[in-house]
Amino acid sequence: MSIDTLRVPEPLIRAGALIKYNSLLRLRDPSQLISYLVAPMVFMVMFQPLYTKALSYGSIQAVTGQLMMFSVFAMSIVANSIFVEREWLTWDRLRASRAARAELLIGKALPVFVVLLIQQAVLIVFGWAVVGMPFPKSLWLLTFAMCVWGFALLGMGAMLATIVRSRGDLFVACDVGALLISSIGGAILPVDLMPSWAQAVTKFSPGTYGLSMLRSAVQGDFAGTWQPALICLAIGLVCGTVATFRLAHGWGRSHLV
Amino acid sequence: MLEAVDLTKKYDEVQALAGFSLTVAAGEICGLVGHNGAGKTTFVDMVSGLLRPDTGTVLVDGVPPHETRGAIGISPQHIALYRPLTVREHLELYGRLSGLRRKALKSEIEELATAMQLTGFLERRAGLLSGGQQRRTQAATALIHRPKLLLMDEPTAGADPETRQALLDVVKQRAGEGAAVVYTTHYLTELADLKASIAVASHGKVIARGSSAELLDGLPGEVRVRTTDHEYHRATTDPTAALLELLAESRGTVESVELRNPDLDDLYRSLAVSDVH
Repeated sequence: MSIDTLRVPEPLIRAGALIKYNSLLRLRDPSQLISYLVAPMVFMVMFQPLYTKALSYGSIQAVTGQLMMFSVFAMSIVANSIFVEREWLTWDRLRASRAARAELLIGKALPVFVVLLIQQAVLIVFGWAVVGMPFPKSLWLLTFAMCVWGFALLGMGAMLATIVRSRGDLFVACDVGALLISSIGGAILPVDLMPSWAQAVTKFSPGTYGLSMLRSAVQGDFAGTWQPALICLAIGLVCGTVATFRLAHGWGRSHLV
Repeated sequence: MLEAVDLTKKYDEVQALAGFSLTVAAGEICGLVGHNGAGKTTFVDMVSGLLRPDTGTVLVDGVPPHETRGAIGISPQHIALYRPLTVREHLELYGRLSGLRRKALKSEIEELATAMQLTGFLERRAGLLSGGQQRRTQAATALIHRPKLLLMDEPTAGADPETRQALLDVVKQRAGEGAAVVYTTHYLTELADLKASIAVASHGKVIARGSSAELLDGLPGEVRVRTTDHEYHRATTDPTAALLELLAESRGTVESVELRNPDLDDLYRSLAVSDVH
C-alpha cells in the first residue's frame, strides 16, 4: 500500500517531508560527524592506560570523558544545521509554508537529535568493545541518559545558532564553548583530581552534569543519574525555549553580518 | 483575492508601511513598483504571513494569511535554496509541504520543469546551478502547488533574458488560470509584457493605482530632433506643436525626428519625484 492510498494526517506528511530532507542535508555533509567519531576513539585508546592507573573507574572515565567532550563538539552539527537556514534564507520560506511551527521544529530537530544519539551510541559500543569499559548494567538507564544529554546539546546548539550574528561567531562559540564546557566539566582531567577551587568552578559547566550522568548511567547508578539528568533537562529546556522563540518568530530585520 | 487595507508597520524608527492599501482580484497581475525602501518587501512579507501589521488588515481569499498559507505561493527577492539539495528535491519538499501527493506531485514537477526550462537540471544540486537556473528553481517552488495568490518579489533581478521570458510566460499562464499575482519589479517593461495593472508604492503606501493606460494618460511624451549641428528634445503632451517649434528653432540639416510616447519609466519617475516634493 503506497502512502498515497493511506489516510495519513497532513501534519505527519509535512513533518515527515521536513525530516526526510533535513536528514538528506545531514547525510550530504557527513565530515563533522565522522571527525567527531574518529577523534574520540583515538583519544579513548590513548588515555585509557593513564586513567586506569589514576582512577578506580579509569576505563569508564576514558570513554565517557571523550564521549562528553566530542558530543559537545557535535553541538556544532546542531548549530550549523539551523544556522544554514538563516544563511541560505530558507527558514522564512518554510515559515511561510503550510507547515505549522511544531512541524518545522520537529522536522529540524529530530534528524540532528538522532545524529547526536548515533554518535554517543557508537562511542559507547567502541568503548565497551575496544577500550575495555564494563558493559553498562542498565541499557535503559544509559539510553535515557544519552537522550537527556542529546536534548541538552540540542537546546544549547539551537540557541547558539539563533543568537549569533555571523558564521565566525558560531565557530568561536562552538569551538571555544565546547573546549570550556568539556574541560571544566572533567572530560580531560577528572573532577576528583582537580584542585578544590577548580572543583568549585565545575558546577557552572553543563559538561559536569552530562559527564556525571553518563558515568552513573554506565555504572547502573540510578540515583546518581537522576540528579544531573534534571539539571541537563533544565538546561535543554531553557536554551530550547529561547531557540524556539527565535525560530518561530523569525529574525525580523536583524540580519547576519 | 487579496485585500490589504491601511497597513502600518514600524521597525524601531523606520516607518516601513504607512497606510498601505492594495486590492488584487483573481486572475489579475498587479505590478508593484517603487523605489528601494518603499515598503514592497515588507508588504510581501505581511501577505506571506511572516509579519503581522501594527495596524490594518490583510485578507487572502477572505481570511488572514497565516490561516490560508496553502493558497499562497512566494518567490522571495533573494535566492533561498538548500545548496546540497537537487532541483527535484526542492520541488518535492515544497510540493509535499503544500499537500501534494505522489502522482499529482510528479505530474506538477514534470509540467513545471518543462515550462521553466529546468528539465535537464532536475537532478542537479542547487549550489551547482547558474544564477538564472536558481531563479527559475525558486520560482518553480512557489508555483508547484498552483497557488491562488502568487507573490513574486523581484523574481527576475539579475536574471538572463531566457530566465526572464520563461518566468513571465508561466506567470501569465497562471494568471490566465485564475491566480492573483503581485509582482514587484524595477523592470517596468516586464509589466507591459505581463499586461499588468500597476500600483506605485512610495514611503510605505500606494500612491497611484490603475491600468498602465490610465496612469500614463496626461503624462508628457518626448520629441527629439537631431540635426547636423545639435540634438533638440522637449517633453510634451502635444507632440505636433512641439515638433513644429523644435523644427523652427533648429539649425543645420535635420537628420532624424523621434516621437516617444510616455512609458512606465516616465510614470515611475513623475510619481516618485512628485511624492518626494
